[in-house]
Amino acid sequence: MNLFEKIEPLLLNVQKPARYIGGEPGSIMKDKSQIKARFAFCFPDRYDVGMSHLGMKVLYAVINQRPEYWCERVFAPDTDFEALMREHHLPLYALESLEPIKDFDFIGFTLQYELCYTNILNMLDLAGVPVWQRDRGESIAPIVCAGGSCACNPEPIADFVDLFFLGEGEEVDLEVMDLYVKMRDAGATRSEFLKAASQIQGVYVPSLYDVSYHEDGTVKAVTPKDGAPATVRKRIIENFDKCPAPESFVVPFSEIVHDRAVTEVLRGCLRGCRFCQAGFLYRPFREKTPETICEQSKKLIDNTGYEELSLCSLSTSDHSRIEEMMDGLLTFTENEHINLSLPSLRVDNFSTGLMNRLRRVRSSGLTFAPEAGTQRMRDVINKNVTEEELMRTCKIAFNAGQTSVKLYFMMGLPTETDDDIRGIIELAQRVVDMFYEMERRPKGKPVQISCSIATFVPKPFTPFEFHPQDTREMIAHKQKILEEAVAGHKRIRASWHFPETSILEAVLAKGDRRLCNVIYGAWKRGCIFDAWSEHFNYPLWLEAFAEQGLNVEFYANRPRPYDEVFPWDHLDYYVDKAFLIRENEKAKQAQTTKHCRLQCAGCGVTKVTGHPCFDYSKPLRDLPEALTS
Amino acid sequence: MVPVRATFEKRRRAKYISHLDLMRCMQRAFRRAGVPIWFTEGFNPHAYLMFPLALSLGCESGCECMDFRIDGDMPMQEAMERLNRVLPPDLQILAVAAPVRKHTDIAFADYAVRLDSEQPDALRTAWDAFIAQPEILVEKKTKRGTAQVDVKAQAEIQDVQTAADGLLLKLRLPAGTSVNVNPGLLTDAFLAWLPEHAPEVQTGTVHAERLAILCADGTPFA
Repeated sequence: MNLFEKIEPLLLNVQKPARYIGGEPGSIMKDKSQIKARFAFCFPDRYDVGMSHLGMKVLYAVINQRPEYWCERVFAPDTDFEALMREHHLPLYALESLEPIKDFDFIGFTLQYELCYTNILNMLDLAGVPVWQRDRGESIAPIVCAGGSCACNPEPIADFVDLFFLGEGEEVDLEVMDLYVKMRDAGATRSEFLKAASQIQGVYVPSLYDVSYHEDGTVKAVTPKDGAPATVRKRIIENFDKCPAPESFVVPFSEIVHDRAVTEVLRGCLRGCRFCQAGFLYRPFREKTPETICEQSKKLIDNTGYEELSLCSLSTSDHSRIEEMMDGLLTFTENEHINLSLPSLRVDNFSTGLMNRLRRVRSSGLTFAPEAGTQRMRDVINKNVTEEELMRTCKIAFNAGQTSVKLYFMMGLPTETDDDIRGIIELAQRVVDMFYEMERRPKGKPVQISCSIATFVPKPFTPFEFHPQDTREMIAHKQKILEEAVAGHKRIRASWHFPETSILEAVLAKGDRRLCNVIYGAWKRGCIFDAWSEHFNYPLWLEAFAEQGLNVEFYANRPRPYDEVFPWDHLDYYVDKAFLIRENEKAKQAQTTKHCRLQCAGCGVTKVTGHPCFDYSKPLRDLPEALTS
Repeated sequence: MVPVRATFEKRRRAKYISHLDLMRCMQRAFRRAGVPIWFTEGFNPHAYLMFPLALSLGCESGCECMDFRIDGDMPMQEAMERLNRVLPPDLQILAVAAPVRKHTDIAFADYAVRLDSEQPDALRTAWDAFIAQPEILVEKKTKRGTAQVDVKAQAEIQDVQTAADGLLLKLRLPAGTSVNVNPGLLTDAFLAWLPEHAPEVQTGTVHAERLAILCADGTPFA
């Protein structure tokens, strides 16, 4: 049943209706009589956010490449349209067929940030699918699944989801769909299918694990049943260069956050910054060759018609052949009036060669992330950037005519003192001083240093997973210090947020399965779009915690001993807990660890892959200057 | 360099594309289609595309206009075929030709409007009473805030028909750069008037379609 006739009368009463009707160029239509399984790929946030997400585009292409499967897109309707949908009994539908997703075989959510969890419940409810896994009965469809970075600790939403995909989805998603079709056609039930799926590497079926707790509320044990594996290991794509990449995107009509062609240039990160979850979750480091990157970029531009190309990775300037890559990309983008934008550049390896190439690219200001204000603090978090490197990079930027620089910092880092906080503004002031000491500084506009200071959230699978987050009071104290430190500095602007969203993020990131009831309670009280400050309602969340006899401090502010069983310990992301402990101990001593290209840190990845991540016999002098120090 | 005026349709899903979004959508379609469109010169070159008359969101049309220039020797018919292959099925070019009239020649546009209702006769009676008012003042958003407009004086109601499922209107409204009235201005005023003057009449969706863009002498803009 196509819902077009029911949707249409509502559209002129909502903001930006083009978000709700599909039909965009590049959206894939199929004849459903030829389809064996349908996948509703749900992004639990608004269209303009979800449509900017590369992972969705990748998996949309991978599933739709199979003629017998049809993957469609679904986003969270904004509150105005949601109200009309509920009033007119319009169920949540997918944007390609405009058919209700409750009739699909798979309803899959991508988990990009913890504060989207209530939206998942809301979308299931709008779809007419029971939010609790246990209420879905024995008929096999729809299977509610989820993947993405937050799947590394899926426990807080474990009771809502049939199965989780751990790691990279390009292969395992299709394996699970193949198994599903085979078992459904043989008349299998939901639980029979889930039991069989749990045997596939990278599939975690939470209903097959019992969790017991100590009296103090910490996890005692996670016990598998029905033959489910004791630990579930994530999936990775071994040959990343040959991995299928989307040749086209759905090109939206309405404006979205990142409205451009995007090519993924490398996966994983070799830096080992101790606060960064992505840097550990996506190991090992793998890159595409410049030839592949240029070919895929060219194809994307031709098929989407985009006027802008961006490169995606955790650290683009760590690509071992970046200058070749840039030369290749600039050759075709300049000929065809394409803007090239390069996020994720690191301060330390912003070479003059790279800067010269970047000068050919239109830029709207430079952003760098020193993350901490003092060298001691940067050593603690293993952000191997020195002040000299930052100054050198800013100088290159100023010489190129830039006058505004944006710096990203964190506060609430382990071992942090008030002096480290003051150090943020002192560092920014030294950048200002350096500008005025330059003889040939850009004339006209005054220099402007913007410091954005986020509250640190300790995350699973990082060396700081053992650390408590700063309490609300500690954060308030540090924000006051910042306020005093920045007063009177005309050329420096500092900005930060209220800490409540970061506190909830920490709780949900490191939470256990008991939080399912809290999330349900918060959603029932009306919490949705928690990542948006205009919707975020912390008091309602606190009520939901209190109702379950739980509190945020237990999850966010409690130091966790090395021998504690963590809610995510039965999930294997290739990185050893022993390695995380070693790194945490080094952090306490402010000792740094070299990046992976210089020396293997023994994180545990090679034990799984069976080979070193890099060819260490290759002389360092053949690498870009950035990677050799 | 060949100047081209394309006539295109905007229906079903495509009628929810806003005017600004349509501009971006077409620019990208030219790139996908490989049609060598002329770029403006200067500091920030961009594809030259001109829409002489905007269509309001939600209104269908089979007579929309878009001007561009082909920078090369591609025949305009081929440009149209290439564009149609990469445009959504609800947004298709119907014809291409050399532009004849200037944009400033546009003076009127014709619309068909359908007001859904299960009480078509009662709705007709209400409409007749509504339109019999000496003037119908509505607030109209302009570049400088809002202004009061007598929409009755602006609209030429060419036909009113009662159908099984509602009321069918044919309207001729001023269009162009100086005065522009879209049919929603009149239908919104009617729907706002109804609850007070004919509270028993229930209405459903309003469908609007632009039928023609006309010059001052009544000939189609081409």
